[in-house]
Amino acid sequence: MNIQAVVRQYILEKHLRGEYSEGFEDTTPLISSGIIDSIGVLDLVNFIESRFKIEFMPREIAPHNLETVEQIHLAIQKKLDSKSGVSSNP
Amino acid sequence: MPEPDDKLLHHWLRRTSERHPTCAAILEDERVTTFSRLLEDAESLSHALTKRGLSKGDRVALVLPKSSEAITSLFAVLMAGAIYVPIQPRWPAEKIQSTIDDCTPRFTIKASENSLVIVDCANGEQLSWREMLAASHGACPEPDIAPDDPAFILFTSGSTGKPKGVVISHRAVGAFVKWSAEEFQLRREDRIACPSPLSFDLSTFDVFNMALIGATCVLVPDQVVWMPRFLTQFVREQRITVWYSVPSILAGMLNEGGFTRGKYPDLRVILFAGEVFAGRNLAKMQAVTPHAVCANLYGPTETNVITWYRVPSGFEPSKPIPIGKACPYAEVMMDSSSGELLANGESLMSGYWNRPQETEQAFVNVSGKRFYCTGDRVSLTDSGDYVYLDRLDRQVKRRGFRIELGEIEAALLRHAEVLEAAVIASHDPEAQTMIAAFVRRCPESTLSLIDVKTFCAQFLPSYSMPDRVLFVEAMPKGARGKIDYAALKKLYAEKLDDEYPGGCPSVHP
Repeated sequence: MNIQAVVRQYILEKHLRGEYSEGFEDTTPLISSGIIDSIGVLDLVNFIESRFKIEFMPREIAPHNLETVEQIHLAIQKKLDSKSGVSSNP
Repeated sequence: MPEPDDKLLHHWLRRTSERHPTCAAILEDERVTTFSRLLEDAESLSHALTKRGLSKGDRVALVLPKSSEAITSLFAVLMAGAIYVPIQPRWPAEKIQSTIDDCTPRFTIKASENSLVIVDCANGEQLSWREMLAASHGACPEPDIAPDDPAFILFTSGSTGKPKGVVISHRAVGAFVKWSAEEFQLRREDRIACPSPLSFDLSTFDVFNMALIGATCVLVPDQVVWMPRFLTQFVREQRITVWYSVPSILAGMLNEGGFTRGKYPDLRVILFAGEVFAGRNLAKMQAVTPHAVCANLYGPTETNVITWYRVPSGFEPSKPIPIGKACPYAEVMMDSSSGELLANGESLMSGYWNRPQETEQAFVNVSGKRFYCTGDRVSLTDSGDYVYLDRLDRQVKRRGFRIELGEIEAALLRHAEVLEAAVIASHDPEAQTMIAAFVRRCPESTLSLIDVKTFCAQFLPSYSMPDRVLFVEAMPKGARGKIDYAALKKLYAEKLDDEYPGGCPSVHP
């Protein structure tokens, strides 16, 4: 399963039980829309950290990094790249 | 310690600053604000605001994150004899606006990009916080205020959807803070963590004990507070000695933050309030910090802390933790018919802002004394300690925040496609409050769960947002046509049974 699919499944299961997945896009706002509250964000970060074996710093847990599945994917990819030594600035 | 005539909160800061000018008052990230700096800035700002017309009894809205500037501003407001109204910038815009509309401030101080601005509400003029500070020096004339005059207004959720302002006087908060300093033997060398937002009453302990005894108030960044891993590291590295928060934060540190024995030798006082602390977590905490004093403090925003219980070592984890006995400045009693806890004493609120009728309804007269009705049902143990049982109304707590289920229903009903809405609360397996909303839509409506949450986010703070939204064809009704909440709870429990066959969360009674 790719990164977006893992994150989407987590959010659907945890925060959008009963929602048809068609209504949930990778660009759907998560925090400003109230789908995930501030504690939900931290649970999500915990989940991501343990699922992808990465660690975020406090300042990285900002709404602009985690507002959509798309942004979360980018944040995870960046962490994975820096872990494996791949530069994210070609 | 302050002299007996130090009856106003800002007098505490003046006296402490005279005695310990170079000691650290506030620690925020790596930034230290000394007592002399805090006093000087607060006096300058106070002077500048009074020159622009701020006077006794005026309100000043502080739409600011917890910061040295916010604390400086609140002391400046007090020095002018005015009343500060702390507002969290991350509240929904609608809630911020309705709070401001309600308290009609003379000035609003808010963050704008990378600076602070002061809005003169008389003419809409925007002034720079920094320039205002630089433009005035020295204290403004001491205002003619008494200890019973209001110091601040804390807005809390209201059952009709409009937040209620709880007016707290200098005397009321002073009674609690002075008692806590003495009871827990707080001292100048202490480093008191400030994990709560300034709009939350727990923060008054941190901020005003700093001013009273000259301890350092260590601001805990918001993104650290709810991340147990970061928070345990913060407590250790910042050598926090005194901690006061809702139990949820402590539970996070204990269960997920690696809060283990031997790493926190400095932590000597651990206080909690605002919600029920699970006995097993308390037992774990006592094992990690066997040297620390642990106490459960109790009191709604309207009363400040009125009862407390010092937890003995080796507390039996299966027992509920009592809320204890009355603080020396308070008198409490249990209503014999309803079991409701009633409170009297100098720490009580002056009333609800602009709501004389609700203020009247909040109190009862018992033998000629005015008692606040807490809405909390309690029992009394053989040792004379009160134990919290449940609420008499539909208010619930989540992470210490008060939530009126009626406020969520009011938000849902504002949507044009919602015909009926009913909200219930339950507990998940970790004893956290979960909120479920039942919604009946217009027949032709295609309203989705995401639509509902997005709509509610305009009016509700994130802690009030429903976790689940369930669309129903019809709302169960009782004989008089009222929504049958018991039936909804049953329906929800059955749904959870289906979803969690191994053991479902319990639905609120």
